[in-house]
Amino acid sequence: MTFLELLVIVHVIGTVLGVGAATFAEIHYTRFNSDNIITDDERKTLAITYTVMRTGLFLLVVSGFAFLLYFRLTEHVAALTSPSFWAKMTVVGVLVGNALLLQARIMPLAVGAAVSLTSWYTALVLGVIGKTDATYFEILLYYAGATIIVGGSLRLIRAHFHSPKSI
Amino acid sequence: MTPFLAAMLIVHVIGGVIAIGIHNVVLMHLLKKAPNYVFVSRIAWSAAGLFLLSWATSAYYYVTYYGTAVKPRILAGALPAGHIFFMETKEHIFLVLPFLAISIALCASYLRANPDDALRKSTAFLTLVALGIGAATAASGIIVSGSV
Repeated sequence: MTFLELLVIVHVIGTVLGVGAATFAEIHYTRFNSDNIITDDERKTLAITYTVMRTGLFLLVVSGFAFLLYFRLTEHVAALTSPSFWAKMTVVGVLVGNALLLQARIMPLAVGAAVSLTSWYTALVLGVIGKTDATYFEILLYYAGATIIVGGSLRLIRAHFHSPKSI
Repeated sequence: MTPFLAAMLIVHVIGGVIAIGIHNVVLMHLLKKAPNYVFVSRIAWSAAGLFLLSWATSAYYYVTYYGTAVKPRILAGALPAGHIFFMETKEHIFLVLPFLAISIALCASYLRANPDDALRKSTAFLTLVALGIGAATAASGIIVSGSV
């Protein structure tokens, strides 16, 4: 196994953990909060899910910078100025900022959840498609649009699970 | 580039990125009403140590290699701003980071014995500033590398 392959594996594991944990954080939160009460067990489950998400983010960032080093040392620096790369960096920055704003209780949970979920999937999509003809601002425009759609969808899903059961 | 210089560059980047990540964790904990100050002070000192290590290795790389082998290539290339603006800004602003990190670690150590809500909030703000400078420094480093 080459060093580059090892980096790819760590990067993919980080993305999988992050995207998976972000998805299940939403599923668990929606399910657990359907009765407007989050028990201690449910809180512990959510805490573990967030820990997995942060572990994914850590692996993603460290392996991402290891990629940059690899490209620098092998003189393949064109990737460092590509729009999709900088869009991905911006999305990861938004993920970190969103987590801080949620922790400080400045960001409303509904908005923060939509931003987190969309950001993780955007990072995944940008990583998979690699090079693209879209400019940096076009990518961010798609990202903002996707965040609004995801936010609206999550609102509808939560409203559905909160609706009174038919007898 | 010799393997030793490559190792210096790797330690500089990975050490710096992990230190920035640790400051993110410190900030997350300081935003809680009752943080675990023992944990916070331990990781804050780890961040300070890593920033000093990143600082020392980058200084060696800069003095022995960057100035003679990398800087002329950037200045002659398509993105001379990579050195003129980003490296010049990075190398001056980065000087502040280890001292900010030490200040944060000292505050966290003081908070271990003397919990104080006002100092917790001030330390959180200082950590936010350090996090912002750290992120800007990392972004500048990528631009410098991309300008070669």
